[in-house]
Amino acid sequence: MKFKAKVLLVDDDPDFLEMHKAVLARNGYEVLTALNGREGLERVRTDLPDLIILDLMMEKHDSGFSFSKQIKNDPLFKKIPILMVTSVAEVTGYSFSLEKDGYWMKADDFLDKPVMPDVLIGRVEKLLRKKKE
Amino acid sequence: MSDQIRILVVDDEMGIREGCKRALSLEQYDVEGAEDGKEGLNKVQKNSYDLILVDLMMPGISGLDLIKKVHQIDPEIIIIVITGFATIKTAVEATKRGAYDYLPKPFSPETLTGVVKRGLEKRALRLEAQRMQQEREQRLLELAHEKSRLQTIIGCMADGVLVTNLEGQLVLWNAASAKMLISKGKDKPGKPLDYYIGNKLVIESIHEVLAAEDKSVSMFSKEIEVDKQGTILMANIAPIRNEENNVLGVVTVLRDITGLKEIEKIKSQFVSMVAHELRAPLAAIKGWLEVVISGEAGGDEEQKHKWLLRAKDRSDSLLALVSDLLEINRMEAGKIAQKMESVQVTDTIKKIVEFLKPDIDRQNITVKIKFPKDFPAVQADPSDMEKLFTNLINNAIKYNVDNGSVVIDGTVEKNYVCFRVKDSGIGISEDNLAHLFEDFFRADDHRVKKIRGTGLGLTISKKIVDSHFGRIEVESKPGEGSTFSVYLPLKQGK
Repeated sequence: MKFKAKVLLVDDDPDFLEMHKAVLARNGYEVLTALNGREGLERVRTDLPDLIILDLMMEKHDSGFSFSKQIKNDPLFKKIPILMVTSVAEVTGYSFSLEKDGYWMKADDFLDKPVMPDVLIGRVEKLLRKKKE
Repeated sequence: MSDQIRILVVDDEMGIREGCKRALSLEQYDVEGAEDGKEGLNKVQKNSYDLILVDLMMPGISGLDLIKKVHQIDPEIIIIVITGFATIKTAVEATKRGAYDYLPKPFSPETLTGVVKRGLEKRALRLEAQRMQQEREQRLLELAHEKSRLQTIIGCMADGVLVTNLEGQLVLWNAASAKMLISKGKDKPGKPLDYYIGNKLVIESIHEVLAAEDKSVSMFSKEIEVDKQGTILMANIAPIRNEENNVLGVVTVLRDITGLKEIEKIKSQFVSMVAHELRAPLAAIKGWLEVVISGEAGGDEEQKHKWLLRAKDRSDSLLALVSDLLEINRMEAGKIAQKMESVQVTDTIKKIVEFLKPDIDRQNITVKIKFPKDFPAVQADPSDMEKLFTNLINNAIKYNVDNGSVVIDGTVEKNYVCFRVKDSGIGISEDNLAHLFEDFFRADDHRVKKIRGTGLGLTISKKIVDSHFGRIEVESKPGEGSTFSVYLPLKQGK
C-alpha cells in the first residue's frame, strides 16, 4: 500500500495521539507519534516527515513553541509544515491565527482541540498541497 | 415669660404704693408693695420680680443703695426710680447706677403705666438677647463636642480619611491615613498637601477633584500604588459642596486593598488552571466520540468499542477531578464539620489495603503493614483519615513498579504519632519535590502521564493534615522510591 504522506504527531496526551493517528491512517497517511518535544525532534531527524501536527502545551508550558522554533530554524527541516493544535484558547482568552500569530509562533496553521476529523484531514491536505507549490 | 408680670413698689408713702397698685393692677400686672428698702430687698431675695419702682428718698436703706443691692441679686430686674421735687439730679445719678428710668412726683397713672410698659419691653428684649447668647454658647459647646466626636470616629476607622480645603491644604486626617501616606508634619494641620504626602498621584487626584468644573461630580475612585512593596490603595475622592453647589473642599477616603488584589489574582489563576484541567479531558472525550460517530477513522465494531472505552476512561478521570475540586471547595469553605474522635489509624490502614487489593495484585506488589503493638490511637476525623491514607497508599501503588513493594509503619515520638508510607516506585526528582503539594501539579514524566490522577490528591491530603494540626513530609529518590510521613498530634492526657 502506498501512503499519501508521512505525518508526525507530537502530543503529550496519549488519547489525542491515538485519535488523530486513527483518523489519519484511515485516510491513507503514514503516522508517526511522539509524546514530547525531545522524542519528536528525534523522529524528525530519523524519519523526515512531510508534516508535523504539534500540541502547543506539553510538559513545560512552552515546549510546543521551542519545538517549532527549532524545526523552523533548521535549514533541513524548515520546509516541513507545522499544524499547531491548542487547547489554550478559551483558558487564556487568546486565540491564535495564522494571520496574526504565524510569523512569531513559527507554525503554518492553527486548530483548537478537539479537532473534528474532517477538519483535520482538510487542513492536512491543504498544507501538503501548499508545500508542493 | 408667659407667667404673669410681677412688679414691686418700694415706697414709704402708702399713698404712692396704693396708687401705683391700683393703676398697674388695671393692666393685669401682679403688684406688691414694700414700705422701706429693707422689706423691698427681702422680697427681692425671696421672689422674682420683673420690675421694681423705688422711691429714692426713704428711711433706712436709700434708694440708690437698693438699686445696687437688687442688681447684685438679679441684674435683669428693671428699676424705675420715683423722685420728689428737686431731686432730678439724684434721679439722673440713679439711672447712671443702673436704674432704667425715673418718674418725677407727682405722676399720673398714664405716665406710670407708660414708663412701666417701656421698662418691661426693655426687659423682654434684654432677656431675649440673653437667651440668644446662651443658645450661641450652647451651640459652640456642641460644636466643640461634635469636633471631638468626629475626631474619635474617624480615628477609629481602619480606612484612611484626609480632608483638604479649597486652598489645597490638609486640614483633617486620621491615624489610618497617616500610617498609609503621611510621612511628616503629623502635628501641624493647614499646610499644602505635598508638605505631608510624598505620593504625587494622590496629590494630583485630589487637586483634580478640587479644580473640577463639572458640578455633577460627586465622587471619583482610583486605585493607587503607593510604595515599592506593592501596597495598593483604593482612594475615593469626593468634593464637599455648599448649598450653591460650590466646592468647599475635598474628602478622601483611602482603603488598603493590597490583600484583596492578591486574592483576586490567586483566584483568577486558579480558575484558569481549573478551566484548563477540565478542558483537556473534555476535549479528549469529544474527540473520541467524534471519531466514532463520523466514521472518519474507520475501524470495526471492536475497535470502536475500544475507543468508546477510552472516552469513558477520560470521563471517569474528569469525574474524579470534579469530585476532588468539590472536596477542596468544601474544605476551604469550612463546611466540613470535623468529627474528632479517637481513631485507631492502623485499623483504617488495614481496611484500605484490603480495599485496594485488586490494584495491588494487578501490579504484583507486596504490601507490608508493620506497627508496634498497642500503637496509640489519634484524635481525628475518621473519614478524613480514610481519605488521607487512601490517597497516600493509592499513590504508593499507582506510582510503583511491577513487583514492587509498599511498607507502611509508624513510630511514636515526643508529641506526635508518625505514620510512614514507603514505596519502591519511580520516585520524584528534586525539582518536582518542591511543587508536589501545589494544586494540579503532576510530575512532567512520561511514566506519570500514563497514570491517571487529578493533581489534587496531595493538595487534599495536606489540607487534611493541616486541619488536624499535623504535618506531612516527603523524601524521595528517583528510581528508588518515595516515603511520605504524616505526623499527627499525640492524644493528650494519656
